[in-house]
Parts: sequence; C-alpha cells; structure tokens
Amino acid sequence: MKRLLVGAAILFAPAAFAAVPQPLDSASVPALVAPPAKGSKVLALWSLDCAYCEENLASLRTYQRQHPDMTLIYVATDPMREREALEARLKQARLDDVPSRAYADATPDRLNFLIDPTWGGETPRTLVIHADGSRKAFSGALTAERIAKLVP
Amino acid sequence: MRAMLLLLVLGPAAHAHDMAAMGNEAPLGFDATIDNAGHLWVVDTVGEHVRVRRSDDMGRDFALSTIVNPTGEPIYAEGENRPKMALGPKGELYVTWSQPRKAPWTGFVRFSRSLDGGAHFDAPKTVHADRAEITHRFDSLAVDGKGNLIVAWIDKRDLEAATKAHKPYLGAATYYSWSTDRGATFAPEQKITDQSCECCRIALARAPDGRIDAFFRAIYGDNIRDHAFATLPVGGTPAVSRATFTQWHIEGCPHHGPSLAIDTAGTRHAVWFSAVDGKPEITYGQLQPGKPPVHAFTVAGNGASHADLAVDGKHVWIAWHQMSANGLQLMLRESNDGGITFSEPRAIANTTGPSGWPRFVLHDHRAFVAWNPGGQFRLVATEALQ
Repeated sequence: MKRLLVGAAILFAPAAFAAVPQPLDSASVPALVAPPAKGSKVLALWSLDCAYCEENLASLRTYQRQHPDMTLIYVATDPMREREALEARLKQARLDDVPSRAYADATPDRLNFLIDPTWGGETPRTLVIHADGSRKAFSGALTAERIAKLVP
Repeated sequence: MRAMLLLLVLGPAAHAHDMAAMGNEAPLGFDATIDNAGHLWVVDTVGEHVRVRRSDDMGRDFALSTIVNPTGEPIYAEGENRPKMALGPKGELYVTWSQPRKAPWTGFVRFSRSLDGGAHFDAPKTVHADRAEITHRFDSLAVDGKGNLIVAWIDKRDLEAATKAHKPYLGAATYYSWSTDRGATFAPEQKITDQSCECCRIALARAPDGRIDAFFRAIYGDNIRDHAFATLPVGGTPAVSRATFTQWHIEGCPHHGPSLAIDTAGTRHAVWFSAVDGKPEITYGQLQPGKPPVHAFTVAGNGASHADLAVDGKHVWIAWHQMSANGLQLMLRESNDGGITFSEPRAIANTTGPSGWPRFVLHDHRAFVAWNPGGQFRLVATEALQ
C-alpha cells in the first residue's frame, strides 16, 4: 500500500519546472516578441477551445527536447481568469514544464495584432522569431516535418 | 427627422472610451434586430442569464428588459458563440444560445420564446433530440417566410462515431432542425453535411422564396477550409454545394464564420475570412453554389475580422472590425450598384477596448451597425456625416 501511495505521489507530482501561466498584457508584448540572443524563440499560441492545440504544443515540446537552442513559450489566448483550467489542461497533457502565458488585456484581438499583425486569431498559431529578428509563422497543427522546416 | 435620428444614435459614443480598464471579464456577444414597427431588440447575457431588451429610440434607452432564463445556466456568450434572436410574423420573439457542458468542447443548443412581446419567456429547452455530452454548439437561428423556425448548429456525433470505429473524420458535422408551431416543438434534427469546420458560426439568410439558406465553413480534402452553401428545407433534404475556392489549408480553428445576405432578385451576397499563404483577408463575393463566386474582391487585410453585411435593393453594406496598435475601428464599405463596386473603407466608430462582433440591422432602407464596445450597446449610423 505504501509503495502504491509513493508511486501515485510521483505520478501526480508537478514536474520539476512546473510553470503556471503568467499574465500577458499589451505592455509586455515587446519583450515577448523580442528576438532571442541566439537560436530561435517559438511562441505557441493556443486556446482551451481549440481541439488541435494540445497536439501542436506537444509536437513543439518534443522538437525542443532535441534542439536546446530553441526557446519555447506557450501563450494561451484565453483570459487569466481561466488560469486554473489552463494549468489543468497543460498538467494533464504533461506539458506544464514549459514557460506559459495567458492573455490579460481588455481586448484580446489587440494582443493578437500586437504579437503578429498577419495573424487573424486562428489557432493553433506558431510564431518563430530568430536571433536576427526574422520571423516565420504557421497556422494549424504542425507535424514534426513541418516544425523542422519552420524553426531552424 | 434624419438629423435627429443621427444625433440619437451618435449620443452614447463617449461611453466607448470608459471600458478600457474593465478587462475581458464580461462576455460581449450579442444579437440585434429591428421589428416592423421600428423597435430595436437586443439579446445579450448577464452572467448565467440571457437578457432581451427593447429600445423604442434606436438603442439610446431600453424601455423593456427581460431575463429569458430566471434559473441561471452556463452560456457561451463570446465571439462566434453568441446568443441569437429572431422575430416571428406575429410578434413572436425567439432566442437561442449554446450552453457549455462540463467537458471541454461540449454544449447543448438552447431555445426560448416569448409570445407576449417580451414580458415573459418560456422555460428554455434543448433543441436537439441527441443528448450525448458532445459538441452541439455555434447555434444559428432564422425564421422563414412562412414563420417556421430554422436552427442550425455544429455537431460532433458523427466524429464520435467515427472515432469509436477507428475511422478518420475531419472536423464536425453541421445539423439543423425546424419548428412549424412557433417553437412549441422541434423536428428531429437532420444532418446538413459531414466534415465541416468545428469553430465558425453558420450564416443563415432568407431567400426571395421565403426559404432559409446557410453559408458556413466546411472542409474539403485535407483540411482545406472553404465554405459550403446549403438550402435548409423544412422537411426534405438539404442541397449542399461548395461555394468558395480559396484553398486555405488549416488544421486548426479559424474562429471566423462568414455572413450572407440575399437580395430580392436572389443574388447571394457574402463575406468570408481566409488566410491563404499567411495573408489574412476578408473577401466579398456573390455566391454561385458549385462554382467560384463572382464579383469577388478583397475587402480588408491585416487586422480585419468578423465582417457582417446587409443588402437592400442595390445597396450593399459591409462592416468589420479593424484592429491596429491604437485600438479597434468599426469599418464600413458600401455599394450602390448591387455589389459590383464598393466605396473605399471608412471608419464609422472606434474604441480603445473590446466589442462584440458587429451586426447589421436594417430599418426603412437605412443600415445601422449594432455594436457594444465595453458592453455599452449602440447603433452606429452608416451614412457619412456631411
């Protein structure tokens, strides 16, 4: 019994770097989209109501494990009041070890525009920002092959 | 009279700037319509309650406000999932909304009516016979020329069945039902089409023969998310054809449904969103089901979303949200030649905060855009100020 309990505790314990969603407002968008010092920064935009988003988050996480020079940030377009649901969804998918943000602005569409003016708000959306400031973006769930084309 | 009306509708503009600090807490989804006597009807939500209001002065004040469901329930009230309202020929008020269930992406389509001019509403009921805890949401509502109700929605029962049978299935199905007794009962629902988009509103419009047609985002081939046009007969089988050919591929949720308005000659005016090759665009066109639309042109690009349109004779109006770093503008383009040519885009209102999606209402051959920046409802006149 004791062993079972210990096993359960390990199974359900939060991951070592569990990150609860941090608020994203319009003032913090410039830092979010600033080019990284090296490698690439990947913003994975998702929402609770998007049935394709979890697999996209998972595919990007898998890719990142093999590419440590890639910074991955999950950005939920849901408001911060959904923080618990966001946390639970990420935890359930074992994706709660990635830095995570959630929208905290009166106008979500404005954040969409500030993050990427060529984005209509469709999800999942993946925005890749390279150290030289260049950008690439893709709407829809990514396969491993598509990620390899988009990110490097 | 016209000048007075303009003053009335422009009055509440100052409030639009008060809401920037409110946060995106209150859902802003609403619908609006004007009855033959010129009364404006607006439906929105207050917490777990659907609210219907009547204005006798074009939205400046509300003379009547009635809670549709005194017993609260969860309500989808944002974006593409807003409450809907339609009027019957004898003053009936019909309201639908989608009710979230416990699991993600689930919902029931709910209906209520008032037969006493909005003083009371019947206890809400679920429109569909299927009660599985799956998606039945993104409801749309219309009344046909005979006074029958049509309700259409997005439904995942076929996806569930395919998944259980380990068969591939893209997106969700689209279903509809109808009522021939002023909403007392609804016919068992019927499928419009399989494998359509699971997150975009369905546009409904009345054709010259009085019947209701639908225009919605469907899926063609490998996640090409173009639009289908369908007739929705009361009884009988819907006729469904592909109606846009943008070839936008997205394995995802656009959250951008189209709009449809049909003129007395039967011309099907439509607007829709796509982002082919990473270029977001709102397109206008006249639908030729089975073939590409004619008179198609790009209405707006980056930052443009959630267009609605209206038609009255040769006059066609398109309104949409134009986002910029400085805030949100309500934009307008209009045509006086039946949609062959359109004016340049013109901002008719703006806000530093959010608003529910714009909705046209027509009255006495004039078009107004219903808007609620920060939850403050207003009608925006479309005539240019001289």
